[in-house]
Amino acid sequence: MSSRYLLQRLGSLLLVLFGVSILTFAIIPLIPGSPARVRLGVQATDETVAAVEKQLGLDRPLTTQYVDWLQGIVFRGDFGRSLINDKPISAEIARRLPATLVLAVAALLVGLLIALPAGIASALRPGGKLDLGVSVLSQIGVSIPDFWMGILLILVFAENLQWLPSSGFTSLNEDPADWLRHLILPAVTAGIISGSIMTRFTRSALLEVLHRDYVRTARAKGLTERVVVVKHVLRNAAISIATIIGLQLATLFSAVVVVEIIFSWPGLGSLALQSTLQRDYPVLQAAVLMSAMAFAVINLLTDLSYVLLDPSIDYA
Amino acid sequence: MQNRTRSYVTRILVSLLLLGLAVSGLTQDAGVERGGTLIAAWQQDPVGLDPHITSARSSFQVLENVLDTLLTLDEELNVQPSLAESWGVSDDGLQWTFTLREGVRFSNGRPLVADDVVFTYQRMLDPATGSGNAYKLGGVTEVAAPDDRTVVMTLGAPNPGLLGRLATDKTVGIIARESVEDGTINTEPIGTGPFKITEFQPGSKLVLERNENYWREGLPYLDAVEIRIISDDAVRRSALISGDIDWAFAVPAQSVEELKARDDVVIDEVPAGAYWYIGVNLNREPLNDVRVRQAIANAINRDELALAGAFGNAEPTQDPIPSSNVWDFGYAPYEQDLDKARALMAEAGVGDGFEFEIMPTSQYEESVRIAQVLQAQLAPLGITTSIRSLEWAEWLEEEGAGNYDTYVCSWNVLVDPDDFFYAQHKTGEVFNFTGYSNSTVDTLLEQGRQTADFEERREIYAQVNQTIVDEAPYIYIYNPLEINAYRPDVRGYQTRADQAIRFVETWLDR
Repeated sequence: MSSRYLLQRLGSLLLVLFGVSILTFAIIPLIPGSPARVRLGVQATDETVAAVEKQLGLDRPLTTQYVDWLQGIVFRGDFGRSLINDKPISAEIARRLPATLVLAVAALLVGLLIALPAGIASALRPGGKLDLGVSVLSQIGVSIPDFWMGILLILVFAENLQWLPSSGFTSLNEDPADWLRHLILPAVTAGIISGSIMTRFTRSALLEVLHRDYVRTARAKGLTERVVVVKHVLRNAAISIATIIGLQLATLFSAVVVVEIIFSWPGLGSLALQSTLQRDYPVLQAAVLMSAMAFAVINLLTDLSYVLLDPSIDYA
Repeated sequence: MQNRTRSYVTRILVSLLLLGLAVSGLTQDAGVERGGTLIAAWQQDPVGLDPHITSARSSFQVLENVLDTLLTLDEELNVQPSLAESWGVSDDGLQWTFTLREGVRFSNGRPLVADDVVFTYQRMLDPATGSGNAYKLGGVTEVAAPDDRTVVMTLGAPNPGLLGRLATDKTVGIIARESVEDGTINTEPIGTGPFKITEFQPGSKLVLERNENYWREGLPYLDAVEIRIISDDAVRRSALISGDIDWAFAVPAQSVEELKARDDVVIDEVPAGAYWYIGVNLNREPLNDVRVRQAIANAINRDELALAGAFGNAEPTQDPIPSSNVWDFGYAPYEQDLDKARALMAEAGVGDGFEFEIMPTSQYEESVRIAQVLQAQLAPLGITTSIRSLEWAEWLEEEGAGNYDTYVCSWNVLVDPDDFFYAQHKTGEVFNFTGYSNSTVDTLLEQGRQTADFEERREIYAQVNQTIVDEAPYIYIYNPLEINAYRPDVRGYQTRADQAIRFVETWLDR
């Protein structure tokens, strides 16, 4: 893999982010409603809205606002302040981006713990009882809405058994044990759904490889089934599985928004939703930009992982 | 029924007689336990904390514990001294003089002076601030501080209701000018109240810590209040039952019955100074015809609407002032009578029915539920309604621009009859979104502001009340109950008719 390839990818990533920033900046103010009106609420009048918009700098042309905003990011790494609560946005992002990452990765781990054993087991005996059970369960897992699953888990594990907290967040530095206790229910909620999807993909990826000639050859050579599965089937299915994992992580990054809201998890998704509802333009722009970046980076990492998984792949 | 039968004016007289009555010292309780952190849950994030800009209840319930007002309301809604310990009015009723309590400090340690009051109210009145709350100053045009302990307010016209105005909610709370000057007014406003804001993580939590400089001796009892934002109804309920939180604001209405039956949760409720209503656009046909509006008022079943909207946690009503308020008139000319409604519609020339739109907001599911039942109740009359449920930011814009036939919403934190009618129905007032205009009502509303005698004033507002109910720019539905829920070991808390959430005398028995 050449460093030129990496530079190219990073360059196109920047270009994508730039495009995303222009698009969001152009689209967001088209949504009816304004942050000044949200702040003033039912008591907003044209005069007070105009006065507050002036204080917030929203009376300036959109292009001026965009250039100011971009300069802030490029030269000072500063996303500006919320139009609703005046909080510095960079600090908000710094608090929420890791929270969403942790939740998405934890959910992915839960998903893999489900998907790999279940997918492998059902692929090895397709049509068997186990395969049938797995396919029914994974179908249920895919179909259950996450908000319902979340509330169900809260009812059982927080309200009735009182093993885990019902919602909220503790930072890792403050109290690692409490941090973990708060993480379990949201991660399991998002993980069950993600795991159900990955189970089905793992199963079909393995099945495809299991029917290849080289697997038959390996079996004909007299290799044990274990060696066949681990050395030949899994290795060759690894690329498809890695693709799915990458896609799932990227999807989870935005899909956990419902889970974040149910569990009051201070992530990027709930920030994006809140700022959309409140027309908090700069916060929304920052959240969208961060999500786009995370998505692009995860895709890049997935592509790079192919090099490790398949020696025949190299990027020039 | 509690004794709330004195008017503001008699309250004022009593207060004047009791000049200098100290609130502190009266509330000390031998059995209280000090310290600890109360975990409270809010449904919605504060929409900024600048008291002059925001109108969100989630913000004011925080400020209720951070700011003080010159005067305050006790549990029976009587005016009591707070930062001002005495006051008087000039003979022409245009000049009010307030003397500030001595020894009051802001939470940053700086002593409160009369200039702070002047600064606060001038900022509120300054058009450049863009305050939507300036009208709550009750017609004050000028504020001055002749010395450090004296504040003089000048009014354009006499307003005996001023004292009530200066005591109701924290829009008129006194802020430290430092907060404005260093730009923290919207995140951590500094006040003289029992708590100070030490941490605000939007969307997650807000921490209030005990203000060591608080002027009421020995208070507050708690070390801190941690407010968590838990937006989902079911999760907030679970959090209360499992003990993750001690206290909940906006208890899900559908859970109230169930929670009442539990012995590990206390449900504390009182009829609130609030009402849900249908706002009618008087510039749209055929709704501009009073008979059409009366037909709607006759056709609807308020008991059903209260069941659907508030799950029965409400008192159906035809006029705005709740039964818990001394100004309740109990005027109820409508009964669900479809024949009468049909006759009115025929008179108005729409006997075969008509169409209009109902605009609730998804911000308050209650308004959507009301709209759905309204739709069903009006259908038998041939009235076809469509429901356009908007999210809050868009709803506000449409309401403000008059782009609606009817909307469903509520007014909250209303105490004096002026609060119930003036801003909503006087010609040209900024919150008169229906376009209602009646010169008799306008005159009466001005008279009401300038009349001190209770009986005389009651006569005036009885007329206003009757006219508004009859002409139906607002069709009133019900007065909701204000409901708080908490763990049994939360003591010294009381749900208030003015919907203020105060933790100053709250303590934890554990």
